[in-house]
Amino acid sequence: MSIEDTSVATEELVEEEAQSLSNRKKKRRWRGQDVTAGSPSRAIIALLVTAVFIYPIYLVVLNAFKTQEDIYKSPGVPVLPLTLQNFTDVFTRSDGLFWTGLINSVQITVIGTLVATMVAAMMAHYMVRSTSWFAKLLWITIPLGLMIPAATTLLPLLRVLDTFGMIGSIFGLIIVYIAGNLPFGVLVFSGFMRSIPKEIEEAAAIDGAGPIRTFWAIVFPLLRPAGASVIIFLAVGIWNDFITPLIILGPGNGTTITVGMYRQISEYVSNYGAVFAYMVLATIPIVILFIFLQKYFVKGLVSGASKG
Amino acid sequence: MSTTQIKSSKPLPQGRASLRKRRKSLHSPLHFLLFALPGAILYFVFVLWPLVLAFWSSLTNEDAYRPKTSFVWFENYAKLFSDPAYLQVLGNTLVLTIIAVIVPNALGLGIAILLDRSGWAFNAMRAVFFVPVILSSVVVAVVWQQLMKDDGLINAALRPFTDNPPGWLSDPNLALYSVATIVAWQSVGMCVVLYLAGLQSIPKELLEAASIDGAGPVRRFRNVTWPLLAPSVTIMTVLTMIGGFKIYDQVKVMTNGGPGVGTTSTLAFDVIQTGLSSGAVGYSAAKAAVMFFIIALLSMASMKIMKKREVDL
Repeated sequence: MSIEDTSVATEELVEEEAQSLSNRKKKRRWRGQDVTAGSPSRAIIALLVTAVFIYPIYLVVLNAFKTQEDIYKSPGVPVLPLTLQNFTDVFTRSDGLFWTGLINSVQITVIGTLVATMVAAMMAHYMVRSTSWFAKLLWITIPLGLMIPAATTLLPLLRVLDTFGMIGSIFGLIIVYIAGNLPFGVLVFSGFMRSIPKEIEEAAAIDGAGPIRTFWAIVFPLLRPAGASVIIFLAVGIWNDFITPLIILGPGNGTTITVGMYRQISEYVSNYGAVFAYMVLATIPIVILFIFLQKYFVKGLVSGASKG
Repeated sequence: MSTTQIKSSKPLPQGRASLRKRRKSLHSPLHFLLFALPGAILYFVFVLWPLVLAFWSSLTNEDAYRPKTSFVWFENYAKLFSDPAYLQVLGNTLVLTIIAVIVPNALGLGIAILLDRSGWAFNAMRAVFFVPVILSSVVVAVVWQQLMKDDGLINAALRPFTDNPPGWLSDPNLALYSVATIVAWQSVGMCVVLYLAGLQSIPKELLEAASIDGAGPVRRFRNVTWPLLAPSVTIMTVLTMIGGFKIYDQVKVMTNGGPGVGTTSTLAFDVIQTGLSSGAVGYSAAKAAVMFFIIALLSMASMKIMKKREVDL
């Protein structure tokens, strides 16, 4: 394992760190170097640990570009020329498993994330600003939603979806994601909303703006940082989710990118190249989103981590 | 003078009244109808109602293959804890959870401390540990399944040294630990990321002051870093524990509960298996309720710790 090995997998993630790096440098220039600077021996140990840790991912990315024969002969090293055959195989499958999965996952993730974020922001606004009994009821019941693991309610949820005729449909899945992610969104937004002075909204109301206008023109723009955390966290969660689409869509009712991956491993019994290429493709969209919203992700991770 | 006072004070109450009226418009029925109701309906119907249904169903003997369902009170729960299959599942989940708490937290803390240095190389290495955090657990499970299966890449590498390499996923005594390794591997990434966030929020001045006072690296860690990081360790322990009790994806993808009967089955996997494949809806619901109580208890603990605001990750 060498520096080059790890850099293959890190290249895409190095850039976003570049900015925070330059900031840190500026701050630390005048400080004592003894506690923050890394010694060469520490760097070498760190490099070894990092390389061992990321080795499986390195294998996946590398072997996605190799033929089956080369993967078996020498799994750990690049064999030139690299091939794109595995990716072509995934794209041109006769059943179009990758494309249906991709289209469904994009639809579900985009619609689910955006609608859940908007509905949660509006609900949080009502809960923070209203003193009605209904707001109090929501304050008692919403935190409960963070403690429900998906596996415990999926089977009764199937029955509920059945009564609405939404079983096995992408639409039903989107609805489930919106409802299930409201508690997280509401709790993040409501914490943030308390810091917005009520007077701003009252001023808007005096100027004749109704509740809808006040919210979208005054409050919502102020929620942007919290909104970014909610969006990145929900999008990663929905895109990566496996158990919900597996059970709700059921066999033969379409697929998402993760369920498609699961179905594919039973078919390509030993075609590593195709499985690895599929995984690389399935991960690219979320990596792109992550690079744009990275700085909000750790925040979301911390506030969402208590989710059941 | 008295007249001017009256004049100036008279329009004021009117203004206040209209202000109150305007203020009220913020809490108008429209506000309730448009802001609270759509979300609340979705939440009650698709989140809370299924939970109620699960509890209800756990008190019945509902079965997909039995036409008549009757109310049996707590019979399912009584049956649970004398069911050897369920005790095995409980044991599996405990083993998985213990490994998934201790290994990632110990390794994550160690790696975070190792990487908490400035310089481009350390920044790049920190970024690497983000990768498993954003990967789907299915991707991770598939990767490791390809590596660990009997004719997988790990055994291909071992073949020159031994004639029968271990069946990482096919040996009933080994499979559970293989699954635990995968779960731990992915959580290491998350632990590193969050512990690094905790370490970087410690003011460097404190460490510098300690170093000027003559404290070596060990003293600095023991007396400055550790006390400030301890709340993060508490919260991460609870969070990895919640994650451990919820494990489903890795088991479904890598072993499907096997090899053999239920050797790697977990609480979540068992709930789905009992309810869908075996059709024992009522019994499965009782298992779901037990799992819900475990997770809810841990979640409440984590929220309590978070609320104390000691943790400033």
